[in-house]
Amino acid sequence: MIQGSLTNRIRELRFHAGEMSQAELGQRIGVTRQTVAAIEAGKYAPSLEAAFRIAHVFNVPLNEVFSWQPKT
Amino acid sequence: MPYREKTAWLSLFAMLAAFVPYFALAASRSHWEQMPDLPQLGRFAAATILQVIILVVGNIYLRLASREDAVVPPDERDREIERRAVTWAYYVLMAGMILVGFIMPFTTHGWGVVNSAILVVVAAEAVHYGGIAFSYRTQS
Repeated sequence: MIQGSLTNRIRELRFHAGEMSQAELGQRIGVTRQTVAAIEAGKYAPSLEAAFRIAHVFNVPLNEVFSWQPKT
Repeated sequence: MPYREKTAWLSLFAMLAAFVPYFALAASRSHWEQMPDLPQLGRFAAATILQVIILVVGNIYLRLASREDAVVPPDERDREIERRAVTWAYYVLMAGMILVGFIMPFTTHGWGVVNSAILVVVAAEAVHYGGIAFSYRTQS
């Protein structure tokens, strides 16, 4: 299996969305503030549906929120 | 700290506070009385009642202290953490029950077997709640 790591730009996107809080983002995508914090810190990989919801909230394509880098 | 992590710590604490003294007392006995051994049954009842009291008081306190978090339904991460902890606990329970149900009847009897079964259930629950608390600690 190819190994890799998932990174995200949620913190940056929240900043550009008027410093949207983790709690507000969580409320809009149906998860808790703690889960948003865990996703943002790269400690929890969200479901595909939650990932699409996050992208929808920021009105950007999914690959502008998340990216996956294979380990070389 | 998420509300569900707090309740997991509380459940783990209640379980250990009630059953560590119970098993310490049981282990110190040199021989077992014939079944049903009402004093031993009484100690088990006391441990269970202590656990229930800690859980009730603790859960009331946590609900009052985190009113908003307490009513939020579990999200996908909460469910994944719960599912993983239940899986770990299931393996402990299965291994323990094989030991208690299939092997111990040939080597011991009475309360020795009963207490071993209780120990397996307590260990499985400790792994369950400990697994939840551990997962929240490492994923936040």
